[in-house]
Amino acid sequence: MTNLAGSELGLWIALITACIGTYLCRAIGVKLAGHISQESEIFSWLSAVTYAMVAALTIRLILMPVGLLETVPLFVRILICILSVLVMVSKPTRRLVPALLTGTIGLIISRFL
Amino acid sequence: MPHHYKNPNEAFWSGFKQALGAPLWVLFAGMIGFGAMGHTSEISPWVLGLSSLLIFALPGQVVMLEMLINGSSYFAIALAVTLTSSRFITMTVTLFPQLAASDKNKKLYAHVHLLAMTAWAVSMRDFPSIDPKYRLRYFLGLGLPCWLIAMPATLIGYALAGVVPPTITLALVFINPLFFLLTFTDVKPWANRIAIVLGGCLGPLFYLLDKDTSLLVTGLVAGTCAYVIDRQFVRKAMP
Repeated sequence: MTNLAGSELGLWIALITACIGTYLCRAIGVKLAGHISQESEIFSWLSAVTYAMVAALTIRLILMPVGLLETVPLFVRILICILSVLVMVSKPTRRLVPALLTGTIGLIISRFL
Repeated sequence: MPHHYKNPNEAFWSGFKQALGAPLWVLFAGMIGFGAMGHTSEISPWVLGLSSLLIFALPGQVVMLEMLINGSSYFAIALAVTLTSSRFITMTVTLFPQLAASDKNKKLYAHVHLLAMTAWAVSMRDFPSIDPKYRLRYFLGLGLPCWLIAMPATLIGYALAGVVPPTITLALVFINPLFFLLTFTDVKPWANRIAIVLGGCLGPLFYLLDKDTSLLVTGLVAGTCAYVIDRQFVRKAMP
């Protein structure tokens, strides 16, 4: 069985195991969270580890996307991100929705240039 | 700005309102994009929709979809998705200790399923200004609508794939990473700020070395460096 997409059963097995794997990560987190204090050094370290992981994932989604986003030139993606971040930080309390709109509309416009 | 709630219901609805502000739409857009992506493969919309309901982690779902199309083995798919989801371990470990002691019980094993990057980023930002006894309700108000919208959005995306121009789908797919990028500007602790910069730089490099383990390795290397830099230099400079 080389092509799973062609096999109904394989598809469901893949889905179920992926669901279990992901839930296990969440459950392990709950188990460990019960033993960690918010004031501890290990909490500070794990926070840094988490932010590093989330940042790595975010940058990967932007720089090395899979599928449609690949068709947008890299410099356009980077330029739009910089513009959106600038809109976001243009106010001390942040402008999240205008920044998101800047990015989305910017990307649509770039397709017509 | 501190949040003052009179009762748990008020905290729940405040979280709900917060979700309607942006997180819900970001997730909605991402799931529509995922459904549209799935349409181009031969995979049943129900598998895609259920993955949104049961995995509820877009990056892992995209990895699953990609590997299904490539015809990878079940074992490889399960392993790759689980490794992509390994961030949930530390996401939970950094969020749930902030809850009130009375909320730390077995029910958290159900509540944790609502945890995704959107709700996590917003909760990490807002928890310090919320009384601990209301934090769980706020989190549920935030996470529940996001989870409930995931499966319908995926099916809508699948159904609309042929109708909506690809440019729109593209913009929807882009909103997710953009949202995470923007939330980083709200992160306050220096160790976490350094971790974001280091993780963002090292992540793509480790990804080129090994796709599956790159997130975990980046997290450990960049996160530990950031922690050490913060402890050795930043905290001493700013007592």
